[in-house]
This record gives sequence, C-alpha cells and structure tokens, in this order.
Amino acid sequence: MASGALSPWEPGVFSLAVYVVLVLIFVASQLIIAVWLGEKKKTEEKLRPYESGIIPSGDARLHYPVPFYLVAIFFLIFDVEGAFIFAWAIAHGKLGWAGWLQISFFIVLLLLGLFYVWRKGGLDWGPLAQKS
Amino acid sequence: MAKGGTRLGSTSPKKLNERLLSGADALINWARKYSLWPMFFGLSCCFVEKATALTARYDLARFGAEVLRPSPRQADLLVVSGTVFKKIAPVVLRLYEQMAEPKWVISMGSCANCGGMYDVYSVVQGIDQILPVDVYIPGCPPRPEAVLQGIVELQKKIESESPTRPIFHLKGGTQGSVQPLRVDGRTKSRDPRGPGMQGTAIRGTSVTPPDFWGSRSDLMWTPPPQQIELNSSDQNLSRELSSRFGDAVKSRDFTSDMLTLEVADERLADVLRYLKHEATPKYQRLDDLTAIDESARRHPENYPDFTMVYHLLSYDAASRIRLTVPLNGKSPGITSITGIWPSANWYEREVFDLMGIHFDGHPNLRRIIMPPDWEGHPLRKSFPGRATEMAPYTRNDAEKLQPLDGGVYAKTDDGEHPLILNIGPHHVSTHGLLRYIASLKGEKIIGLELEIGYHHRAVEKIGERQTWHQFIPYLARVDYLAGAANDLPYLLAVETLADIKVPERAQVIRVMLSEFFRLSNHLVWLATYAHDVGAMTPNFYTFREREMILDIVELITGGRLHPSWFRIGGVAADLPEGWKAAVDQFVKLFPGRLQEYENLIRKNPIFKARTRGVGRISLQDAMDWGVTGPNLRSCGLNWDLRKKMPYSGYENFEFEVPTATEGDCYARYLVRIEEMRQSIGIIEQAANNMPSGRHVTNDYRYVIPRREDMLKDIESLIHHYINVTRGPKIPRGEAYAACEIPRGEQGYYVVSDGLGYAYRVRIRGPGFANVQVMPLLAVGESIADLIAIIGSVDYILPDIDR
Repeated sequence: MASGALSPWEPGVFSLAVYVVLVLIFVASQLIIAVWLGEKKKTEEKLRPYESGIIPSGDARLHYPVPFYLVAIFFLIFDVEGAFIFAWAIAHGKLGWAGWLQISFFIVLLLLGLFYVWRKGGLDWGPLAQKS
Repeated sequence: MAKGGTRLGSTSPKKLNERLLSGADALINWARKYSLWPMFFGLSCCFVEKATALTARYDLARFGAEVLRPSPRQADLLVVSGTVFKKIAPVVLRLYEQMAEPKWVISMGSCANCGGMYDVYSVVQGIDQILPVDVYIPGCPPRPEAVLQGIVELQKKIESESPTRPIFHLKGGTQGSVQPLRVDGRTKSRDPRGPGMQGTAIRGTSVTPPDFWGSRSDLMWTPPPQQIELNSSDQNLSRELSSRFGDAVKSRDFTSDMLTLEVADERLADVLRYLKHEATPKYQRLDDLTAIDESARRHPENYPDFTMVYHLLSYDAASRIRLTVPLNGKSPGITSITGIWPSANWYEREVFDLMGIHFDGHPNLRRIIMPPDWEGHPLRKSFPGRATEMAPYTRNDAEKLQPLDGGVYAKTDDGEHPLILNIGPHHVSTHGLLRYIASLKGEKIIGLELEIGYHHRAVEKIGERQTWHQFIPYLARVDYLAGAANDLPYLLAVETLADIKVPERAQVIRVMLSEFFRLSNHLVWLATYAHDVGAMTPNFYTFREREMILDIVELITGGRLHPSWFRIGGVAADLPEGWKAAVDQFVKLFPGRLQEYENLIRKNPIFKARTRGVGRISLQDAMDWGVTGPNLRSCGLNWDLRKKMPYSGYENFEFEVPTATEGDCYARYLVRIEEMRQSIGIIEQAANNMPSGRHVTNDYRYVIPRREDMLKDIESLIHHYINVTRGPKIPRGEAYAACEIPRGEQGYYVVSDGLGYAYRVRIRGPGFANVQVMPLLAVGESIADLIAIIGSVDYILPDIDR
C-alpha cells in the first residue's frame, strides 16, 4: 500500500469525507428543525401514558411470567444456530461431503430438539395450552 | 437598511415578511385541512352516524379525514359525538389534552352541543363548558351528510388560521381550537328554552314530583286499569304460598298483567328460594329487581315509604310473577338475594346507588352507576331531575372528579402483583363507554372487573317527568341500534295497563319495523364482530344493506336511527305510498347478500380459530345469571319471547328459533346469522299479508287521534289537545311487558299514579344481565380473546346504564 493512500488529499477519501460531513449536517438540520418547529406543550396530562383515558395503575415493570422467558430462550437457540448454517452454506463447496455430513448431523440434532420442545408443549402459548 | 431610505426600509421588508408569512399560512393550512386525523371516539348514538359517514355511501375519505385513529397521540381532531356524561367528562378532557398539537374539536349532535333532550342530572349541558369547540353540528342525531358538512366547515375554519407565526415562535398568529370555554350565565345559557327565561318555571314542572300544584289530571275520569283473571296454575301457586308462608305472603286481587304477591321482608328470601327450587312451575330466572320511592304518591297514606319489586320468570310455564315488598324508613334495608340468584348482585347495587336502599349480606355493596364521589340517590323523588337545577359542570370538576384507580377494583390478597390493565372507557373494542379492569398474568386474564355507568342517561328519571306520549322519543335512544324495536315493550306495558286495543294493521306494522331493526342491528354487529377478530371487509359491505334498511325506515317513518314512530294505540301514520315495492325489493335482495357474508366468514379458518371454544358459558350459568336473547339461545335453550310469550301478533308468523349448543363465540355467531334469515322471512310475511284497517285505535281516550279526525270533529280535537298537552291520564296501577329486541329481552315496568306521566318507569335492559356475566366468559382466556368475546356478546351501553 502506498504511503499516501490514506492522505486526506487523495480524491477518493476527500469526497467520502465531504459526503460524511454533508450527511451529518443534513441529519442534524432535520433534527434541529423538527425540534424547533415541533409543537411542544408538556402538560402533566400530555406526558401521562395513555390507557383508555384512565390514569394507569401501578408500574409497567413487573415480574414477567416464565412463558415469555421460555419463548425468548427458544428463539435465541434456534435463531443463533442459523448463523452456523449460513456460514456452512457460504463455504459448502470447500468443505465437501465431510462438511455436508457434519452440518446434516447438526441440523438433525436441532430438529430433534425442536420436536422435543414441541412435544413438551413448550411452543403452546398462553391459556390455550392450559385448556387443551 | 440604507440611511436615506427610512420610508422604503420600514415598510418594504415588513410587506415582504407579511407576504411570506401569509404564503406559508396558505400552504400549511392547505396541507392541514386535507389531512385531518379524527380520533376513534364516540359517546353514544351520534357515533353510529359518524361511523356511517365513513362507509361507502357517504365516503368521508373524499374529504381527507377517513382514517380514525384509536389513540389520542395520533389524532388531531376530536369529534365529540354523543352525550357527555358527568362520569365520562374527565376522560374526554384527558383524551383532548393527550392529543397532538394543534388540534380541533367538533361538537356533534344536540347532546354534545347543549345536553339536548337530556336535561338530566347525569349529563353535562354542553361539551363547550370543558373544551373549546370549533364547529357545532346540530341534530339528534345529525345525519352522516351533516358530519360531512361539519368537516367542510372545519376546513374553512382552518383556512382562516395563521399558523406560521406560532410555528416559527413569532408573536401572534392562531392555530387549533383556541376559543375560550363557555361559562354558564355569561357566555352561554344552559336553559333549554334559551336565555332570558329564568323567571318562568319550565313547562311541566308544576305537574311533576315533588309538587303537583298545577295538575289537572285529577279532575279527569278514566276507567279502572285492565284486570286479568289468573289462570289455574297461578291460583294454585297463590294458594300453596299462603298455606306455606301464612300472612307473610298476600296475593293481590287486582292485577293487570301477572300474579302479584306482597311479601313481608323477613320472609322474602324463603319465598324466593321456594319459588326458584320447589314451586310448580319453578321460577328459574330473576327477570328484574327494582324499587319505587313512594313518597310522592297522590295518596301517600296507602303506601309504604319504598316498595321493592321483583319480577321472576318461569321457563317451563312461560309465565311471570311479581313480588312486592313494602319497606319503611328513610334509608331502609332488606336482605340481599345474591345467594339465590347471583345476578342480583348488580341489580341490588343499582337500587342501592339510585334509591339508597341497603342490602344486608351483599358481597360488594357500592355505587355502580353514579360516580364514586356522587352525593345523593337520584331516583328518589326528592332528588332534582334536571341538570339545570344543579350547578353547572365546569372544567374544574372534570379535572377533579376522576374515575377510581384500577387497583381499587382488582384487589389481590395473595401477595401476587398482576398487571392491571384498563380497557376502556375509551377503547375501540369496548363498543361503547364501558371500562374493563383486567388483571393479567402474562397474556392470561386472571381477574376481570367491570365498571359501568359511563353512559347513564337517566331515562328512568326522565320517564317520571315526560308525559306518556312525550317519553316515546327517549325509547329508541335506550338501544340506539335497535330503533323502533325499543318502543314496543313500553307501549305494550302502557296498553296492558290501560287496556288499549291495537288494530291488527298497526300490530303488523310494528312487527315489520321491529324486524327491520333486528336486521339493521345484526348487520352492525356482524361488521364490528368480524372487525374485532381481524376481518376488515364485512365492515365495508354490511353498512350498504343497513343503509337500504334505513332508507325503508325513512320512507315509512321519516327518521333513521330514532324514528319515535310507534304510538300508544298504534303507530304515528299509515304506511306511505310505495312502501311495498321498497320492502319487496329488499326482501328479494337480502338473502343473497347474507350468503356472501357467510361465505366470507363462516368457514374462515382464522375466524373459527379465534371463536370456537372461546368465551364459553354453560346453559345453567346463563339461566342463573339472566342472560337473554341470542346469547342464551346459543347455549342450547329454545327460548324466544316471540314464540314463548307472543305479543303484537307474533303468533301469526311462521319462523324458527335458531339455537346452538356450544355457548361459545362461534355459536353466538351462528345463532345471530340464522336469526337474520328468519327475520327477513317475517318481514316478507308481514309485507305480503299486511291487513287493511286503521293504523291507530279508534278509542281516542288515551291516544293521539288521526290527524284527519283531529281536524274534522271536536271530540277528536279535544282528545288531541288533552293528550298532547297534559298527557293522557293512565289509570292508577302497574304493568310489565317485555319484548325480544335484537339483543335480548327488554322489559318495561310502568307504574301509574293516575296522572299524565308515569310515576315510575323501570327498564330491564338485556345488556345489564348479559354483561354482568362477562367475567365468567373471559377469566382464564387470553387477553386477545376478550376482544372476540366482547364482539360476540353484542351489548350496547345506553341499555346497560340507561
């Protein structure tokens, strides 16, 4: 790499810098105009959460019931595994059959897990699960 | 500026400024007036017409304001459509405060403008006492076209604003609603007759309680009330009761409608328990429970201080029985019957609230209709009836008198802290001003409390000051989607009491219109129910047929939602020319249209998944809690007053009573759809076999005579004069009549003291009982199902709160 590659006087970097500055100015101007022109009347009622016209009772930060947590965990597990599969898909030519076998094993394992969760009723949601 | 150019320098830039500003004003106003965001906000009848303005025929979209926003945060136009109740006023004010700036207010309908025909203790006499108003739309209710004009008027008003200066933080300029609030006595007059009449008493006050110094009905003679012979089963029951309970039960010899027993208060619970479980026939249902304040009787020596009145119904024998219990004292008490009928809970709370009678052993005796901080018991004769007799309701009151916190209702003792969520009174899915306080564990409803009374229009109190005829316009407003069908039970009660014979033609006309309103109501129900579970399309189409029905109603009666067209002894006028063709055309067209809706909804898998097995109620519970109408029939009981206790000639019509067995949201859908098919059949039969003859009885003692008679002979003229001005003198007595209106059984209990107006009018609304069971339907379901359940139960607020 030439010593002058990152010089600010190189045309490529210069135009990028100008572009960045312009973008920043534009975004800032939009925000400032909105803040300046926006109608703001901060009365007590206006700042109160809307709950069907009634003053809300209690706090919205409660102990969450476990089902929400379970769903979040399942989502994490099955979603993050996707990242492995994508990575394999990009390099599948280089990895060859060995890679294919390994990822197949991995997917089957995942599916088994999914079926297990399904069977256990982990995917049923809310009162419907308790009724049936 | 240049030194020498003072003239130029001081004026020219200013002019330029002005031109720039006014140019910007024009641009901003143009943008604003064509992009109004009305809030999804309605109080009563007017909202139906407002919503109709959105539908295909009127197409509010042409004016750039078609999308109703459910939250005030997204809205800048508040159309106050309907009656502003004192209990809801704080909520209206809060919603207004929470709306985006700048915002505008349209006051729609007489009630919002000035209280309208509801000059009564629970109503604010004009929204402009608590909010600034830009445009007033007159009418009761205004037609959808009037809504369009109101929007156009508001657009003109927006055009005249100069918003640029406030937007750029300069001095001057105007935008949004800025008019000052109206103050009674200074900038407005609450007097229903207009300003300057303070010295004169309102017409009618001289003959209404508590003073009667001007009554001339006393001088008139009328025959005694109708007397009926009791049938053998009633006589047996009466004998059995007196042998069992001795002097504690006395059967009244004279009755106009049903077996009436006077029961001593200490044996009441035993008698009721016997009637429910052991008697033949068994009286399984508590039809109604109410009280009468006897303090303003013409002959008080014959009456106790209060009378409790219980109406029971037997499904087996299709008969009713009335129990009266005399009570003495200023605030008397009586034993609660919630242990016998759980449905008595709300009824007793209502009597406690409005009459000030205590119930010993009631689990939760507190106010139900009036706001928690209300003073006095409005249905007592000593309580002022008119809002104009009370201090004006101001913004100060609206800021101070808040609804109670949800935590008060959803108490838990087990240390759990569920999420308490207020759904309503202002919510798209509550179908009116009703507040649900749901305790949630995750998405599951673990507790549900209801707060009603936001729509209390005090019709029962009004019934005591309007003459028997004058009260008719208030009837259709008790269930504003059922229109003329509301009039029938009241008229039947009065006609039963005074023994008025209704000609056959009038009876068939009444049936035909009642059935039209059943269709019209069920069409709105279908649209909103489908909408509640996520199907938008039916909404656009059902209002098409509803408009056709309202066209026919308008052709016949001249009115739309509230025809006020039935009269004591018949109907207001004969059928107009061309009615048959219009009805025939509709009868031919409707079944096909109904089939289209069925194709859209019935087998729709999403609809089924949302409704089947959801919101189930057992038949036993439904009977115990006094559930009526399609909601009862969907539990498997074949019970329809039109068949079981026919009135107005229903026995001459051929129709089926559809039932279902599941008792869930889907069953309620099936029953109502089939009811529509049956209704169209009844309409067809009525139209094809319309008898000839008079449209009103020819005995003019109590009725308003035919106009041509009134103009021709002196007898009729005198009857007309008397019955229109001081009101017909209905003989002293009482009667109860109930009809199968679209939502269930609506009953009227009228008590006359031999004057030109009722001594007491009691309305048994189907909604009151149907909504009381809501916790049974919804607890244990998920919060999303609550919306489907609400849609399937099909209630309306004015008939719950009355």
